[in-house]
Amino acid sequence: MKSKADVVVIGGGSTGTSIAYHLAKLGADVVLVEKGYLGNGSTFRCATGIRQQFTDEANIKLMKYNIERWKKLSEELGYDINFKQTGYLFLATTEEEVEAFKQNIKLHNKFGAPTRLITPEEAKEIVPLLNADEFLAGQWNPTDGKANPFKTVFAFARKAKELGAEIYEYTEVTDIIVENNEVKGVKTNRGTIKTDVVVNAANAWAPIINEMAGLDREFIPIKPYKHQLVKTEPIKEGQIEPLVCPPAWNDSYVIQDGEDGGILCGTGLEYGPTYDMTPTYDFLREVLKWATRIIPALKYVHVLRQWAGFYAKTPDSNPAIGKINYIDGFYIAAGFSGHGFMMAPGVGEAIAELIVKGKTHVPLDWEWYDPHRFERGELRSTAFQIG
Amino acid sequence: MRFTEHPILDFERVRGREVTIYFEGKPIKAYEGETIATALHAAGIRIFQHSTKKHRPRGLFCAIGKCSSCLMKVNGIPNVRTCITLVEEGMQIERQDEKPVLPKTSKPPKWKEPPRIEADVVVIGGGPAGMMAAINASDAGAKVVLLDENPMLGGQLVKQTHKFFGKREQFAGVRGIKIAEILSEELKKRDIEVFLETSAIMLLQDGDEKLVVGVRKNKELVEFKGKTVVVATGAMERMIPFENNDLPGVYGAGAIQTLMNTYGVKPGDRVLIVGAGNVGLILAYQLYQAGVKVEAIVEAMPKIGGYFVHAAKVRRLGIPILTRHTILRAEGKEKVERAVVAQLDENWNVVPGSEKVFEVDVIALAVGLRPSIELLHQIGCQIKYVPELGGHVVIRDSRMETTIKGIFVAGDSAEIEEATTAMLEGKIAGISAALAAGVASPGWLKEVEKTQRELEEFRSGPFGRKVLEGLKKVVVE
Repeated sequence: MKSKADVVVIGGGSTGTSIAYHLAKLGADVVLVEKGYLGNGSTFRCATGIRQQFTDEANIKLMKYNIERWKKLSEELGYDINFKQTGYLFLATTEEEVEAFKQNIKLHNKFGAPTRLITPEEAKEIVPLLNADEFLAGQWNPTDGKANPFKTVFAFARKAKELGAEIYEYTEVTDIIVENNEVKGVKTNRGTIKTDVVVNAANAWAPIINEMAGLDREFIPIKPYKHQLVKTEPIKEGQIEPLVCPPAWNDSYVIQDGEDGGILCGTGLEYGPTYDMTPTYDFLREVLKWATRIIPALKYVHVLRQWAGFYAKTPDSNPAIGKINYIDGFYIAAGFSGHGFMMAPGVGEAIAELIVKGKTHVPLDWEWYDPHRFERGELRSTAFQIG
Repeated sequence: MRFTEHPILDFERVRGREVTIYFEGKPIKAYEGETIATALHAAGIRIFQHSTKKHRPRGLFCAIGKCSSCLMKVNGIPNVRTCITLVEEGMQIERQDEKPVLPKTSKPPKWKEPPRIEADVVVIGGGPAGMMAAINASDAGAKVVLLDENPMLGGQLVKQTHKFFGKREQFAGVRGIKIAEILSEELKKRDIEVFLETSAIMLLQDGDEKLVVGVRKNKELVEFKGKTVVVATGAMERMIPFENNDLPGVYGAGAIQTLMNTYGVKPGDRVLIVGAGNVGLILAYQLYQAGVKVEAIVEAMPKIGGYFVHAAKVRRLGIPILTRHTILRAEGKEKVERAVVAQLDENWNVVPGSEKVFEVDVIALAVGLRPSIELLHQIGCQIKYVPELGGHVVIRDSRMETTIKGIFVAGDSAEIEEATTAMLEGKIAGISAALAAGVASPGWLKEVEKTQRELEEFRSGPFGRKVLEGLKKVVVE
């Protein structure tokens, strides 16, 4: 293991591997440490979706930029990460929701996201298996999409290594060495790495890392909430390509896995804060009740798997991204509240540029995601979250 | 083709009323009590589906619901395990040649509360281990419920036509099929509720108790709540790598026994058996009994693995046993038409020029089993890889309790051994589960200890050596 580096990234999910890749691309000597295997925290457990359909300027702009990055990512990384623009379809069950959709669409369009209101008939054409009768209208953005989280993390890591980064799996950080409010190194179960810069990309586990750096655990109050998914056996492609979600039905959603055609089904049944990842029977029943109401034909397919992962939530469901002012050389990109995978390319790029160049061209609103906002008691409007 | 006569078996007991089912729209004669796969096989249909990516033909392989080789569309529902689904009058059966396309105009299902069955001990699996666990837990004072995904009780006993060894109280001299009947009768005598065609899909801790989530007949949810659970889910046939090992006609040995001994359907005309352990040897004899020609048994090891008595019987029938031989490939367009075997040298390399071709339509793989530990794994029991016991197995104590309190294991799901040891383990697990549930009097501990001694004695022979070595690695106190 290397004993020194320009930057040590803690956390090997989509965010951490993206940061490592972008840093290496900018010529930094970077080491990434991950306590398990790459992606095992939240990325490999996610529902694969990528959307611009948020309800605030900062998230819409960041995600619009991200979509452009996702489109070119396979080519850039030299590995097909299977990004597909299959869209996100939200469905309204009441007139009030239709009104809210119209407001959302105005906002999306204002920042360049091509969302539009569609009829249930149009929705049925997009999702042939949809139980369209139950809905009044759809909020549809065909440029949203999905990608393969396994391949994405692999591709980021592979390219990062090609560019000189070192990646150490099963390497758990045990302490952050801070002297005179400056980062000096990272202690792990496999040795110490001297460094002036540390990025905390540990998402659900980020408060533990903050504490090691001498910060209060509650300084950035990220809490792990258990969310779950079930996946059905594969069905033929093209039947449920977009992510389909009627928010009024307990934030339930279905999306066809772009890789094998299985249907991922989620719902808003949340447990926590907890680090427990045991799947629950209550979730299985709840999610299948909603999934078969959205797509009745799902009653004919078997569920193959059920698993849990974390939404690493902040009080306003927006991530903490940026520099920690109390410790020179300490950065964070964590607390993605369920949106880490979709934001990874742009966030990795922005943090890398911030570290190397002191500024970034990525349209990332540093003020909005300021890690110090919580201690100031300043919360953002809650980021639109599903599942 | 169906057998009407057999020296030992009477198939009329499984064959019910004649019904008509439809394969790709064509009517086929079947009998109630038969599985779909059996009826199709009897009608000469070998290809059940084509794989979705490479479109390779697939047919029956395990015949006990554990692999996915026999999935077909039944009455419009895709991916039905035809090997454990019983025929019904008018059933429409279709081959699957691509990933399912679902109907666009379905109605959402009506949700109702699933029935909840409460018991002291829930037993998953109705084979020798599970039935013995249920019977003994019941005798020890527990309210017991048993579920099994197959349409009949007995597990693999229902296809074992040979007589058992051991002691009289361990059913020595009795055929497996008869033992299945005896144990079924014993279950019936007791107040044990049995759920057949019910798959356990989830095993959970539920407060201080356990919850087993079951799905009956592929559609109805059933909840089983118990203070303790015995997992006796058996084993799954192993596959070995060779060219075209997925061709229809390559069967697990157990699948051939299921077709032939349970349902009385001729598996094929000429058979090559891979593996000369007890299963391979017994299978050869059973095929001969049923009038099927066995061309040869190939065995990669330098010595026959099974008991001498079985090997001698097979040799007397003139069936060649080729040790230090392996199968190189199966050949055939859509199903097995021949098998190519070759000799191996001391370094397990193929001896050039030693290839032999056997014109066979069935290749039977008797190359071992691996424990079915999926539910135990899912709930989080500690697992260890122990080759002597058949692969990944759970850590447990001498009373068969796993690392999760209240979860017990018995039979082949604990380690690959044989039906006699499965029954003894089932007895130990059943009584221990009743004791752990707090319903059995402490006096039952003596019965556990007695059974442990019997088990020890049974394993004391040369064939028990390997298992005993393996058990040292997983049995903890």
